[in-house]
Amino acid sequence: MSKKIVAVTACAAGIAHAYMAAESLEKAAKEMGYDIKVETNGTIGAENVLTKEDIEDSDVAIIAADINVELVRFTGKKIYQTKSIEAIKDSKVLINTALESGEIFGKKGTKVGDITLGKTKEDGVIKHLMNGISYMIPMCIAAGLILAIANVFAFQKDELGRIVNWGFDTSTTMGFFMSKMFQVGQVGFKLMIPLFAGFVAKSIGDRPAIAPAMIGAYIVNDPEILGTEAGSGFIGAIIVAFIVGYMIKGLKKIKWPKILQPLVPIMILPLIATFAISVIVLFVIGKPIAGIMNGLYDGLTYLNNTHASAPIIMGAIIGAMIGFDLGGPVNKTALIFGTTIFTDTVAKYGIQQANFVPGTAAQAAISVAPLGVWLATILFKDKFTSTEKVSANAAFAMGMVGVTEGAIPFVASEPVKMIVANVAGSAVAGALVAKFGCKFYGGIGSPLGTIVGYIEQPIPIITWVFSISVGVLVTALIIGFSRKKVEG
Amino acid sequence: MNKEVFDIEHIYFDNNSETKDQVFERFASVAFKQGYVKSKEDYLKGLHQREDEVTTGFKDGIAIPHCKNSTVIKPGVFLIKLSNPIEWNSLDGKPIKVAFGLAIPEDGNAQHLKILSSIARKLIDNEFVNMLLEEDDTEKLYNIVSSIEIK
Repeated sequence: MSKKIVAVTACAAGIAHAYMAAESLEKAAKEMGYDIKVETNGTIGAENVLTKEDIEDSDVAIIAADINVELVRFTGKKIYQTKSIEAIKDSKVLINTALESGEIFGKKGTKVGDITLGKTKEDGVIKHLMNGISYMIPMCIAAGLILAIANVFAFQKDELGRIVNWGFDTSTTMGFFMSKMFQVGQVGFKLMIPLFAGFVAKSIGDRPAIAPAMIGAYIVNDPEILGTEAGSGFIGAIIVAFIVGYMIKGLKKIKWPKILQPLVPIMILPLIATFAISVIVLFVIGKPIAGIMNGLYDGLTYLNNTHASAPIIMGAIIGAMIGFDLGGPVNKTALIFGTTIFTDTVAKYGIQQANFVPGTAAQAAISVAPLGVWLATILFKDKFTSTEKVSANAAFAMGMVGVTEGAIPFVASEPVKMIVANVAGSAVAGALVAKFGCKFYGGIGSPLGTIVGYIEQPIPIITWVFSISVGVLVTALIIGFSRKKVEG
Repeated sequence: MNKEVFDIEHIYFDNNSETKDQVFERFASVAFKQGYVKSKEDYLKGLHQREDEVTTGFKDGIAIPHCKNSTVIKPGVFLIKLSNPIEWNSLDGKPIKVAFGLAIPEDGNAQHLKILSSIARKLIDNEFVNMLLEEDDTEKLYNIVSSIEIK
């Protein structure tokens, strides 16, 4: 079948390589019976410019360029990037390679150098953790919001409206009801840990791993059973889930007698693993992890209470990580860390003293990159092509609902500048919400979160939006000032 | 073809050069003498820099030494026939026998620049390349190059 190929060639001097590459590609495609249109970006300017339709109808776009060419227009299409010299060397080979191994531009998982954007490795540690998190988040939000609402009724005020005491006045109907709701929220937080561990383990060892991991994680987080001061929370749950997951994976490899085989997944594996993980938790790892975690959270709380800058630095680091690879492993690590610290400290200190900083910073930073790109196209109209502007509008829509991946096409076409801009803006947003003491209980992480969610903040609605906006502006300005005008 | 960009005086036979550096040296002084570059040294430096970025030695004994440089006054094409095959780190590993030297200004007449890029395009054409390799008559070489269609 005939293929439609589009290509862009460019070189540093803009006279020789780009045109030889173009001629070479045209000749090879003709010989192979394929349609081709080649845009040359030379010192004379762009010639034979690809139209929207050309790109839309193409099977693959070959970018044979030694300098930056505008790539955002290829978002969603298969592209193959190489140097101009490869086209001159052997265009037939290049065309075949491009058709076979071209990749969709701007999708999640786009690679820039060693950084993977928007996606974590298949079958990696992060993937297992994210599986657990994705099952846990609904519970986290439901329990967190109920807890937050109930909490409002726990502030007892005097006639002047000053808060005088924290605790439910159970003598009133409302106070009694809300005290129960508060307990409901706490149950959610208590269940969250085993639920999380169960689904992390499922991601590794499939269904038989769920039960042992849930039981093991419950034990590792229960101070009474462990005989410790506090449970070991998320970190304990992660360790349990990985031990169980790989234990089940190993046990599955044993050649069980045929007569037992139907029983293996529903009885034998869960039974052995539950027994084993319980013994391991109770007598080996439970106490040490609990001790370490206890010390860690006490230390973090101490730092936050004694050093005013500690939360700001933490917020900036988490924000920077969120903006770095837009949903890639670094971003996910920051999200996991934020969730971990939040739920563990809620369990340990109660909602009043919980550490909201990393979780809140992560949520504030999440929409900075896509919104920053969008704002840059508004503020610096003459520095973007019309296709880039369309992509930026899509990034805006995604950013407004907290989807950070909207910025990926832009980062993929200009990695260094864009990562610097995103990291800076995201860090600013993270640091500001930490500085102002915003507390993110649940909802969506974007400016809209101030309405669609529950965020405690010094000035209702405003502080959150302000902090994010400053971050967005920083990102937009860095992008804008680092770009050249687009030649019309 | 525009005589300001390519003229019969732009064709010369280099019988002495044995290395790429010597070819560059000779080309830079020719370009300087004919008034295409302000400084021979700057242009020579540019040629080497461009060569370090990516080889200008292509296939079947053809090379296009060139650089875009502020020292270049106007676009120019020079055809150099080499008596000694020159080692050039070319794409197919073969030594170079014919070199097209290009002088590329940072800002030049678009029509003139197009002549340069059209010649680059034409070098993909095997027939054209064979004619250049085999022909040793200056007049005929001039006609071959002049007949290139500018696109």
